[in-house]
Amino acid sequence: MHQVEMMVNGQVRRAEVPAETTLLSVLRETWGLTGSKLGCDVGDCGACTVLVDGLSVNACLLLAVQVDGQEVLTIEGMGGFDYLHPIQAAFERLSSIQCGFCAPGIVISAKALIDKNPHPTEQEIREALAGNLCRCTGYTKIIEGIAEACRAPAITDGISVTESGHV
Amino acid sequence: MKHAGRGIACMWYPIGFTVAANPSSAVVKVNEDGTATLLTGTVEVGQGSLTVLGQIVAQELGISAEDVHVISADTDVTPMDTGAIASRTTFVTGNAVRLAAAEAKSILLEVAAEMLGVEVRELEAANHQIRVKTFPEKRISLADVAMGAQIARGRPPLGSASFNPPTVAMDPETGQGKPFAAYVYATQITDVEVDDETGEVEVLHVYAAHDSGTAINPALVEGQVEGGIAMGIGMALSEEILFNPEGRQINPNLTNYLIPTSLDMPPIDIDIIESYDPVGPFGAKGVGEPTLVPTAPAILNAIYDAVGVRITDLPATAEKILMAIRKKERSNVKGLEPGEGDT
Repeated sequence: MHQVEMMVNGQVRRAEVPAETTLLSVLRETWGLTGSKLGCDVGDCGACTVLVDGLSVNACLLLAVQVDGQEVLTIEGMGGFDYLHPIQAAFERLSSIQCGFCAPGIVISAKALIDKNPHPTEQEIREALAGNLCRCTGYTKIIEGIAEACRAPAITDGISVTESGHV
Repeated sequence: MKHAGRGIACMWYPIGFTVAANPSSAVVKVNEDGTATLLTGTVEVGQGSLTVLGQIVAQELGISAEDVHVISADTDVTPMDTGAIASRTTFVTGNAVRLAAAEAKSILLEVAAEMLGVEVRELEAANHQIRVKTFPEKRISLADVAMGAQIARGRPPLGSASFNPPTVAMDPETGQGKPFAAYVYATQITDVEVDDETGEVEVLHVYAAHDSGTAINPALVEGQVEGGIAMGIGMALSEEILFNPEGRQINPNLTNYLIPTSLDMPPIDIDIIESYDPVGPFGAKGVGEPTLVPTAPAILNAIYDAVGVRITDLPATAEKILMAIRKKERSNVKGLEPGEGDT
């Protein structure tokens, strides 16, 4: 068993896990953060996408011990009923999401893009989402939603939108 | 070298299914605060049907969609629904919902007629009120009517209804009949680029015109069309379940069963062709499955337009297209007429 400790959505979390435990497994099963989805479990679908130290990764492909001591952002840290991140707000306005299974990973991938590049082109948005599969929407309204979010004041003014969704 | 091509395909599609009965039921109750509650057995899987059903209740009762609470797919409390299948929910369940709301409204209109001292036929429900059509200043709020119906008249404003699409059995002699109550129509045009050295196809643009009756929620209609086109592109170019001789699937994951990614999706222009179906709720038909029907044929026609090979076996993978191009080139060398060497 291995001790792991990481900052998840601004909160220190600890767990004792077998070496083979994935980051996704410890997020979902140990800490109950079930927003990140288990889709394919082999890194194809992107439904488990989270940020580790600001980089978007497939949580099903990383071991929890590899993330020891690092910062993790999951969809639970992106906003809730009282506050929506501009990406989430745009998705709601444009009916971007249908079944929603891919949405937690897509929102995180979009945040990773916007954090680095607040004014992406449509092609850059498409490239940022290439690792997130969606079976319902054809990506069309998702891409439009991300482009619209980039026009939100919180993004255009360069204010960092951080954990818990608070600007 | 890359060759551009354009293809077009049209389709019709029946809404709901036939042979067996195809009913949906619904219960609508108008609450004493002027909101409404809808009980429906249908299942929301992201297509937005509960939004549309709530809009239908709201339209019938003259309230806003936000004031309709939808309770769905709970077999403890909701009536049976035939299913979120066959592109039938808006048309069949929507009609049951509209009829249930109309029944609740008829109680409200009768109570309001007494409260206002007018005839029922003079009244309409609009803007959260029951009002006189020709003299809208004479009105009473829906909440007050619902409260009055419950407390003073002892007539709670409830409605329940079922809808089973009207069909005519097919005559075994002539094959004539009306197997479905409604049909939808669509045309899609695709622009592609085909690389004659690799057989690879890039879909550059899709134009989609869909008649779905009245578009109760145009954004959701667009969402269905966009999603259907994505599935159609996958069907045309990459999606295939492969089995080994023992019958075991050899591509059971998303590494080798390839669905379109954000990089494979072209821009899509959608034209919602509004029509009014006399049977559908507020003229609506349906939009789910038909959206992907014309996509693959339009792409295959575009491939033919681009490189002159006719692929008849889906998916049209780069390998198949390249083989067809090579075969056609060999045929041309032998002096065959163009087209004779097509697969």
